[in-house]
Amino acid sequence: MSKQRANSTREAWVVCLILGMIMINFPFIHIFNNDRMLFDIPILVLYFFIGWPASIWVTRFFMKKIDQMEEENEDNSEGRGSS
Amino acid sequence: MISAKIVLIVSLVYFAFLFFVAYYADYRRQQGRSLLANSYIYSLSIAVYCTSWTFYGSVGRAATSGLEFLPVYIGPTLIAFTWWFLLRKIIRISKQQNIVSIADFLSSRYDRSAILGAIVTLFAIFGIMPYIALQLKAIAFTLDLVSTPLDPVLGFHSFAPKLPPYVDTAFIVTLVLGLFGVLFGARHLDSSERHEGLVTAVALESLVKLVAFLAVGIFVTYGMFDGFSDIFQRFFEQFPERRDLFRLGTQQTPYTKWFTLIVLSMMAIMLLPRQFHIMVIENSDEEHIKKAMWRFPAYLFLINLFVIPIAIGGLILNGGDSSQADYFVLTIPLSAGHPWLAMLVFIGGFSASAGMVMVSSVTISTMILNHLIMPIILKMKLEADNYAGILINIKRLGIVGVVFLGYLYFKIIGDSYALVNMGLISFMAATQFAPSFIGGLYWRRANRKAATIGLSLGFFMWFYTLLIPSFVRSGWIDSDILQNGPYGITLLRPLELFGLQGFDIYTHSLFWSLFFNLASYLALSFFLKQSETERIQATKFVDAYGRKVKPTQLKRISKAPTIMEFVELMSKFIGEKPAHQAISNYLGDREIDARGSLADHEIPNLKSYTERTLAGYVGAAPARIILENYLSTRGSKMEDVFDIFGSVTISHAASREQLSVLYEASQIVSRGTDLQKTLDDILGLLAQQFKFDLCVIRFLDEENMTLVVKSQRGMSSEHFGQSERNLNMDTYIGQAFLSNVTSVINDTDFLDKASSAQIIHREGITSFAHAPIIVEGEPVGVLSAFSRVVKGIFTDEFVALFENLAGQVGIAWRNDKQLQELLKVREQEYEMQIAKDIQMGLLPTNIPEMEEIALAGLCVPAHQIGGDYYDFIRRDNSIAYDLIIADVSGHNIASALIMAEARTFIHSQVEGLENPADMVFALNRFFFKNLECSELFITMFYLQYRPLEHKLTYTNAGHNSPLVWRVDEQRLDKLDAEGLIFGIKKDVEFEQKSTQLQAEDLLLLYTDGIIEAENNQGEFFGIERLGKLLQESEAMTPQEIIDKILDQVRIFTGLRHFNDDITLVVMKILR
Repeated sequence: MSKQRANSTREAWVVCLILGMIMINFPFIHIFNNDRMLFDIPILVLYFFIGWPASIWVTRFFMKKIDQMEEENEDNSEGRGSS
Repeated sequence: MISAKIVLIVSLVYFAFLFFVAYYADYRRQQGRSLLANSYIYSLSIAVYCTSWTFYGSVGRAATSGLEFLPVYIGPTLIAFTWWFLLRKIIRISKQQNIVSIADFLSSRYDRSAILGAIVTLFAIFGIMPYIALQLKAIAFTLDLVSTPLDPVLGFHSFAPKLPPYVDTAFIVTLVLGLFGVLFGARHLDSSERHEGLVTAVALESLVKLVAFLAVGIFVTYGMFDGFSDIFQRFFEQFPERRDLFRLGTQQTPYTKWFTLIVLSMMAIMLLPRQFHIMVIENSDEEHIKKAMWRFPAYLFLINLFVIPIAIGGLILNGGDSSQADYFVLTIPLSAGHPWLAMLVFIGGFSASAGMVMVSSVTISTMILNHLIMPIILKMKLEADNYAGILINIKRLGIVGVVFLGYLYFKIIGDSYALVNMGLISFMAATQFAPSFIGGLYWRRANRKAATIGLSLGFFMWFYTLLIPSFVRSGWIDSDILQNGPYGITLLRPLELFGLQGFDIYTHSLFWSLFFNLASYLALSFFLKQSETERIQATKFVDAYGRKVKPTQLKRISKAPTIMEFVELMSKFIGEKPAHQAISNYLGDREIDARGSLADHEIPNLKSYTERTLAGYVGAAPARIILENYLSTRGSKMEDVFDIFGSVTISHAASREQLSVLYEASQIVSRGTDLQKTLDDILGLLAQQFKFDLCVIRFLDEENMTLVVKSQRGMSSEHFGQSERNLNMDTYIGQAFLSNVTSVINDTDFLDKASSAQIIHREGITSFAHAPIIVEGEPVGVLSAFSRVVKGIFTDEFVALFENLAGQVGIAWRNDKQLQELLKVREQEYEMQIAKDIQMGLLPTNIPEMEEIALAGLCVPAHQIGGDYYDFIRRDNSIAYDLIIADVSGHNIASALIMAEARTFIHSQVEGLENPADMVFALNRFFFKNLECSELFITMFYLQYRPLEHKLTYTNAGHNSPLVWRVDEQRLDKLDAEGLIFGIKKDVEFEQKSTQLQAEDLLLLYTDGIIEAENNQGEFFGIERLGKLLQESEAMTPQEIIDKILDQVRIFTGLRHFNDDITLVVMKILR
């Protein structure tokens, strides 16, 4: 059960990594590469400075998840050990 | 502007504070309350990545090239995402292998190659020079910017006019930073020990530079302007033509360059020597990675948040002039009249530079010491009593030397490049490590030659496509080479190599250097083979998470050095105190024998421990050379003693030696001679190959429930090897047998079973094991081995082999048991054959020719012994012929005996009992007594033919009705009479009937084997078919009729053999 979860977390992880690779490279960033402004700030600048903290949040989310799973595993193995 | 004196005082106070923090950290560490247990310090220390290149250069780059400054920080953010897998593995390996630098890492991975270590070191020096130059340039320049020199002409010399003219600001800064490096990084020699003071100081500096940068960012954005939107708005109003700064895919920043910068920075964050040092060597807890994975990117984000506002703010304030953009961070607060903010910025910038220079110089000088100096010292075989003092001083000298190399670079080339471009040259150099490094982590086949050649080619291309153009730009080399290529070969132009045009210098260089690097690395790894030792090293790296591979007891050292000699050797290189410390750590958990020396098998362990300890100070490759040289000068040699052990222990798959022992054992078993000899031979093999003092095989004696010695090899002892063992959990052998699990004691000093311990200690056993001999899941005995000499003989792998041997013994035992059973069966069969012969002998074999009748009979038993019986008795003067057919249930000896009894009875009583009914009556009474207790029963048909009267009299005891074919009348009759089978009731009235027969008439007697013969459709042969056959055979002789019936029955069933006994008797009346 938990192994399955660990696997799906790992898969989501890889997907996010690939997404990240795509989202900071051509041609994806070409979408924002124009003269449009938002709050007088070029949209490409906004894209990077909003996407960046978002990606950091994703990393943090994953690490929390891993911490959580490790704790559960420890609990499980402890439970097994005492029984 | 601030007075130079104040700048100096503030700087000195800051230095003092840093030192205080560093010493405090070291103090805490000695107290055992390490500051590095705090994961914030780890995350912050990684930010040594942000040097003055970030601090000043980002703004400069943003002002001139726009978004191009970003990928250098986005790349690390992306790769940080993989750290939990990638970085953790690297850390795990480095801790296991006592690795001290990236050069050490690569050298260790590839067969501890000294050459590879030297190559990596050389290129790390070349690669780091521009980067250090960049830091010196930044500090020197900002120092001059922020302070008002007392004399504008003399500048720095106004403080100390007696200094020679080449001593400028940068020179002083170089000296100071060199001193910093020595004080923080080279107080001890042991590089595998963490430099807590250094790391804490670096973490503090990271905090200071972030605070300083954020302060100036907020000041510019919100103090001088009205927030982000305001700055952008005013910028676009003033410089509408500079919109391209915030776009990509432009002339200035093409997408390829963007991509190149991301790749470069992704590699650099992991592979720059200083990053490797901080992230891997100085890591104190793997768990810290988890936090650093997002905190470090968050740091990068924060420090870049105000880069664009400061850059365009500076442009607005300077009327669009970007020539001094590298120092906007400092000049804006200065010109705005905030000298204290400028001072803070200066301290921040100094922190950024100093942190990088300190860590880099310590790292590089460690590499120089371990991979350049040590091999030379060792080669020259310098005689010295104590290398430790020399080595630490070489290291200190190395640190200062590295910083001064940067100074030289700065003086010669520095001015021609903006900060960021100098940084990228270093990044590109670090990227060349990537193929060998990452390949080495995951690809087992990657080998030493491939890494050496790949790296060399990569660095050559780096030098050619990146460094040469920078030399040209600084005027060192004639620019002709860029335009026309070397010697006029245009194909070799450094910026358009092999005609590759249209890319910026970094993309071009990245492509060609990685192309040659990666291609040769992959191809050579694929085609060249690894040596044995290389493969072992590779496995340690690739399988870092797997089972810990311990090549213990591989070898024995002849003329082994004593412990003290090892200590002396270590003291030479690392100093006396650390050497004694190391040896007491080692001995702490080990047994030393009465003579104060280690057991033979411990010496190789001590040797490898010494090697690892030395590796912590001087690197893996030199440590190996030191030990090898030392041993060879002593005339000591590593000998293969426990060679089988060694290979078994090392290899994951079964090694050849292991297989050969098992193979030999299986040969012994399959020879299948006497069990005793097989067991003796297996024990002989075990004792001989592994030098056991005693090997015993015991089997379970099921009657007494004890384990009885079946075979024994080695020392003989009445109480030990030969005695029986009771089955209980109080002994190790009993435990092994009862729990069906091998019990292993590698050191008999630690025994928990008192009854066993007594015997074992008396016999001087140091280690032993009992493996249950298991046959079909059940234990049948125990294989035991004892050693008096060697502790720790039973490694996991060896226990596996041992269990396998026990399994082989089990097979031998089972084979033997099966053989015995087979013999028993054969014996029974032989007896049955005799019984059958006797039985057949009881049947009338040759029937005499008679005038009145012709007769033939046949009995075919389905099994060895049949239960059918027929007989023929000629009474005196041929007055009457008695015909008997009987069927005893069962086909065993008992039925045969009953049959024999019946025959004896009939033959003995035939004179007295004239007619069938009397005979059958008597038989019934006789059998009732005998059959009562057995489960058998008998059917019988008794006939008597009197030829003179042509009269057939008959009585039936439950048997099948005989058939009569009356030729004249062409009629088939079934003969039957009332009667019960024998053995049911004591007194039974048997009906006696009679009938007349004529010449040519046929009488057929049979047992149910005929009519119940079954074909594959489940049909019985039946009476009808039998009668019809008889009818058709009226012209035949009785023997012919029998043969014909048998043939037909066989055809009917399709079988050659019958399932039941078949008996046929045919009588033909002749006249």
